[in-house]
Amino acid sequence: MQVFVFLTRRLIFAIILMLGVSAAIFFLINAIGNPIELMMAETPGMTGEVIERMKSYYGLDQPPLTRYLLWLGRLLHLDFGTSIVYNQPVGSLILTWGWQTLKIQVPAILIALAIAILFGVTAARRQHSRSDFAVMGTALLGQSLPAFFLGILLIFVFSYTLDWLPSYGAYSTRNPLGGSPTLDALWHMVLPVAMLTFFNTATLTLLMRSNMVDVLKSDFIAAMRASGIPERRVIYVHALRAAFIPMLTYLGLLIGLMLGTAPVTESVFTWPGLGSLYVAAIHQLDYPVIMGASAVIAFMLICTTLLTDVIYVLIDPRISLE
Amino acid sequence: MTDQTIASHTSRPKPLPKPAKGIWRQGWQRFTRSRTGMLGLVLVMLVVATAVIGPFLAPFDAHDQSPMLDPGAKAPPSWTHWLGTDRMGYDVLSRLIYGAPTALAVGLGAMSIASVIGVLVGGFAGYRGGTTDEVLMRFTDFFLVIPMFVVILAVVRLLGVAIVNTPFESVPYLNLGVIILLIGVFSWAPIARMTRAEFLRLKNQEFVEAARCIGATSGDILFRHILPNALPSLVVIVALGIGGAVLAEAMIGFLGFGDPAAVSWGQLLYFNYEALKVAPWASLSPGLAIFITVLGFNLLADGLTDAFNPRAKV
Repeated sequence: MQVFVFLTRRLIFAIILMLGVSAAIFFLINAIGNPIELMMAETPGMTGEVIERMKSYYGLDQPPLTRYLLWLGRLLHLDFGTSIVYNQPVGSLILTWGWQTLKIQVPAILIALAIAILFGVTAARRQHSRSDFAVMGTALLGQSLPAFFLGILLIFVFSYTLDWLPSYGAYSTRNPLGGSPTLDALWHMVLPVAMLTFFNTATLTLLMRSNMVDVLKSDFIAAMRASGIPERRVIYVHALRAAFIPMLTYLGLLIGLMLGTAPVTESVFTWPGLGSLYVAAIHQLDYPVIMGASAVIAFMLICTTLLTDVIYVLIDPRISLE
Repeated sequence: MTDQTIASHTSRPKPLPKPAKGIWRQGWQRFTRSRTGMLGLVLVMLVVATAVIGPFLAPFDAHDQSPMLDPGAKAPPSWTHWLGTDRMGYDVLSRLIYGAPTALAVGLGAMSIASVIGVLVGGFAGYRGGTTDEVLMRFTDFFLVIPMFVVILAVVRLLGVAIVNTPFESVPYLNLGVIILLIGVFSWAPIARMTRAEFLRLKNQEFVEAARCIGATSGDILFRHILPNALPSLVVIVALGIGGAVLAEAMIGFLGFGDPAAVSWGQLLYFNYEALKVAPWASLSPGLAIFITVLGFNLLADGLTDAFNPRAKV
């Protein structure tokens, strides 16, 4: 019952947050000027009549508040409007491009988690040893290495110097690798996934190590060791479970960070994902896409925070529900 | 040599007990023992020195495209052009040096704005408590989840179009100023949370009660008694924030939304990234400059954590 009340409260807060974020994005962008007028300012030879017709076609002749409510109402039906540049429904654009984003982000998170657990646990078990120092040092450096610069370095080394991997795109336009489109797609994923993985691994490893160091000092671990449970089981089952819980908060933040910086990381590899769609839309002032993509990114961020809270409550019985 | 003999004759007054070392001096002592912190300090000083004296030593002016004629664009490093020339015919080393003041202006400017908002919101929430606290913290949560980078890109681009043919067009560095303002406005949330936590911890301590007893005003208590004691924790988070702000501006520049009038490392990357294959020096050196600056501030923050909250780390 208590859990139910807690989750309902979080859900209501998430909905309010979503409304707030969407309103902030909408009014911030609209405060600057009418999107159609701004778009046409860069296109010479547009008469006032054409501009008026375009405004009414895209429903942009209404006052901002009406437009916000209309936009919100259509958003509830998953109708994001029509892209001015592509002349396609924004919803389907977001789906196709968003799939490409997930294709590199999800593997990057999973691989990073595996590496972080492996290295974090190893470093924690041999605290202050040489391997601990090496792991910590690499992670500290990695934390400060901007993901997009790492991507540039990877392209420089593996695409241009060694000529092993493709430097851009999600697939070859002709002659896919080994004649197989699947293999070709995987081949294109290697560098972007490597970049994102390295970026994720650094902080995750540092956190894993410090949580593990704490847990290994606790009494229940000593008790388990004393009762003769195999060391491997103590560490990888019992200690790991306790050390992993605090990482969830960071994992939520990390997913937000990755989505938020997707415009940059995807631009490095000209990866056809949500971030690239967004950057292109901003360059071309494709207003419905700007609004739709930023709303989707904000929605995903809020869902992540909500999900983190829910998982927390479900797996950690020690959490008090206020 | 006579000093000693004289000293031995006169009876020396008993030395006064040394005053207890303050929080800052103690912190500095611990900081000097942190290897990562000292390395960070050295890197940050390097960037600051480049920003302050670099422009006087730079071999070429920031807007001097004359190398376009002599070694030509994308020329490899040589004795005249230590880091080569770039796609637009600029001397890479000079552009790199002129990028340092921009990076620091962004980092310090954005974090000053963020600190003022963060300390005011967090301090007020922590000191007042109750409903004020609840409302302000929900407001802060809102700023924590808003995808700052995505919003800044859209605002900067649209503003760039909107100001054409208006008096704003002639304001120097308006674009850069807007970027600094927006980064600041979207990054105060962590500072507010930290300030709130510190104010909650400090407001019931004895020295605050003592100050209240001798009739100090609320403003006095907040700004002269609580805030100075909360500063050590805030310094850490601000140092981290400076690195983050520099990185954010670099990413905005890299996507081509930077200030066309300013020389910034992100923009150097934007202009030269296409030529990575033929002129790698022009893209790799600004990238390295961003890395060194961000690394410097992150390590500095690490050292400051060692210095001020040694228990926060294992």
